[in-house]
Amino acid sequence: MRIKEKRIPILFLLPCIVTLLAITIFPLVYSLSISLTNYELGRPIELRFVGLENYWTILFEDSRFLIAIANTFIFVASTITIQFFFGLALALVLNRSFKGRSFIVAVVLLPMMIVPVATGYIWWMLYDVSYGPFNYILEATRLTTHEAPIKWLADPSLSLLGVIVTDCWQYTPFMMLVLLAGLQSIPVEPYEAAQIDGAGRWQTFRDVTLPLLRSAIAVAILIRTIDAFKIFDLVYLMTYGGPGTSSEVASFYTYLNGFRFFKMGYASALSYIILLIVTLFTTIFLRFVRRGER
Amino acid sequence: MKKTALRRNLLENAAVIIILAVALIFFIFPFYWLVSTSFKVYYEQFSYPPTFIPGQAFLTNYRIGLLDLWGIKGITDSSIVASSNTLLVLAIATPTAYSLARFKFKRSESLATWILSCRMLPPIAVAIPLFLLWKMIGWLDTYQALVLTYAAFNLPFAVWMMKGFFEDLPKDMEESAMIDGCSTFTAFVRVALPLTAPALVATALFCFIFSWNEFLFAVVLTRWTVKTLPVVIPGLVYGHSILWGAICAVTLVGVLPEILIALFLQKYLVRGLTLGAIRGA
Repeated sequence: MRIKEKRIPILFLLPCIVTLLAITIFPLVYSLSISLTNYELGRPIELRFVGLENYWTILFEDSRFLIAIANTFIFVASTITIQFFFGLALALVLNRSFKGRSFIVAVVLLPMMIVPVATGYIWWMLYDVSYGPFNYILEATRLTTHEAPIKWLADPSLSLLGVIVTDCWQYTPFMMLVLLAGLQSIPVEPYEAAQIDGAGRWQTFRDVTLPLLRSAIAVAILIRTIDAFKIFDLVYLMTYGGPGTSSEVASFYTYLNGFRFFKMGYASALSYIILLIVTLFTTIFLRFVRRGER
Repeated sequence: MKKTALRRNLLENAAVIIILAVALIFFIFPFYWLVSTSFKVYYEQFSYPPTFIPGQAFLTNYRIGLLDLWGIKGITDSSIVASSNTLLVLAIATPTAYSLARFKFKRSESLATWILSCRMLPPIAVAIPLFLLWKMIGWLDTYQALVLTYAAFNLPFAVWMMKGFFEDLPKDMEESAMIDGCSTFTAFVRVALPLTAPALVATALFCFIFSWNEFLFAVVLTRWTVKTLPVVIPGLVYGHSILWGAICAVTLVGVLPEILIALFLQKYLVRGLTLGAIRGA
């Protein structure tokens, strides 16, 4: 009886460990082994071990992959930057008390609660070249003409930007919410001390608010960045990577290889490279944050 | 001196008003467009200039979307998948979280970190092998495959959330229960669980929303038998003509439970969204 009692903590852990091993770790090992083969679905080619050939092709010969990676980095960098500054500005404004504040907070949080698929379609409608409100407003204010409308998602130089704006609509509220929570957890004493020392507003913000907001900023940026690297649904729904490859991102390119071209071996290798990039980024970022804390 | 201070205040207020105005228009307008389009008669959906205010509340969009197309099916399937996934995840995650929070053993920290790192995995990395594995055992396009897959992605979240809540709970109650002769198991079920009930509900709702929204796995792992809402909506697009009104109607019905849940979750929103990293205000 006593031994059994001792084992309970371990027994409690087992179901979780088994599930994770079965549904994440085992598949990952399996896909690592696939990535070393020429496995293709539905094509009668001889299954063969090819070593690191897939990885070599991806890194040195596949220019479409490079485009997808570049697009992913552009996407991540710009969405995080815009969402951070916009979210911070909103959080600072909403941290004051004024009439109608809670209404505005509720409105700002609205996009976060919408199914991402719906978000994609809402913005698709807004961007519509012939019937969308954006082009109508531009034409009504004579910024563009009816003959030469802006093509938004159908324009290779604007398609990725279109997805970026949509992502900002959906996730700026998240940044705002986390930063606002951080701001509200700062006690009043440091501000009083700063006032006594005669610090100006900017100085107070830089020397009091920002350092105390540090962990909230780190958490918000880390979570958003990891999620932004995964970007798939908006691209799939709004542009399908196009026109051409102008808005193709890493996850989407991997999806195409696996589930449209059925090159499972190649797609597995692609997914491993993405996994590596995300892991590398997370590790560096966390080390950077921890060093700052010391 | 006074004048500059006044001017600075004026400038600051102007900045605040501009930020708020931009934010309100940016965040409300797309949502307004969704709601209004769901009430537009067919010709209003494709008119130039676009219809900003629909002429009447055209409810046929809701009928078409929900009954004639796959709306009801999507909502039913999303509910089935999301609720069974939530129950499964809670059943597995709570004991684990309790064990990690209460018993310190060798490597419990690194075990917790490992569990968390599973959450960081890009879904596409697991989607390919899982597709092949479910295919091998004939589980493609089944409820159980989708439920189990989502479980793997919700588990780390649920474990970390509940771990935080158990750590917040003072140990005294369980200790005195143990002194009265309770086993670890009864102390967990009879004392710790009831005390964290609201947290458990919050965690459950977050898991529910994740499964309700998930798109990538739903696209890859299901086809006809199982059709959750996020795959039903794109299905309405690739027909002969795009039924914007019906799409918006189905979307709006699908969004409602989320808005209700979010209102209910307000207190836990920050904590849940940051996996317990920030305890929230």
